[in-house]
Amino acid sequence: MPVQKFRSVEAMNAAPAPASAGPPFERFLRHCARYWAIAPREYPRGVFKFRSIEEAQAARQRVAQR
Amino acid sequence: MAVDRDEMLRVLRAFEAAGLDYVLIGATAMGFHGVVRATEDVDLFVRATPDNIERLRTAFRAAYANDPHVDEIRAEDLLGEYPSVRYYPPSGDLYFDVMTHLGEMASFETVDSEVKAVEGIHVRVATPAALYRLKKGTVRPLDHQDAAMLRKRFDLKDED
Repeated sequence: MPVQKFRSVEAMNAAPAPASAGPPFERFLRHCARYWAIAPREYPRGVFKFRSIEEAQAARQRVAQR
Repeated sequence: MAVDRDEMLRVLRAFEAAGLDYVLIGATAMGFHGVVRATEDVDLFVRATPDNIERLRTAFRAAYANDPHVDEIRAEDLLGEYPSVRYYPPSGDLYFDVMTHLGEMASFETVDSEVKAVEGIHVRVATPAALYRLKKGTVRPLDHQDAAMLRKRFDLKDED
């Protein structure tokens, strides 16, 4: 069903997105590739160590906000 | 530089070739189960033994042309004060969060997993129920969204 029509935005948002064909992991890789192309990030290089998951998440946010 | 699927597959192939004991968690594992969202990182638990950490280093060296930073991934850290290590490889497009345990909540040994195959590579991934358990108890809003998607997709209950 390549074209779907909706009478409202609410109906459009409520419609389930049809999954494209192919193995799930391939879809995941394609989705990530699009995301990375649209929103490229510049990461630091190397290895960073954390005592807890909270420390790791705080570091992730600092990199994301740069 | 755009990430390509070859990089991800090269790393997964290197994990298998090195005999690494690991289990994927997070969005990458969700992708194997058909719950697809974009992510910048690859999260994994590894078995917390010195030999296994050496296998991890072997795999990363193979996948990333002997990147010298891999030597900074040390068993004494992952088995000691630093159970979480983040590795940014030279490609610059994604990174790896390697964990030996998540507080007292989960580790390689306690996460239910199954083996999936992609291009002939065997990949150990956390089950949907295990992912749901990991994500529903955390504080990030994104994890709550993931938990909700897993719950809906696999008809999971709170007791799962």
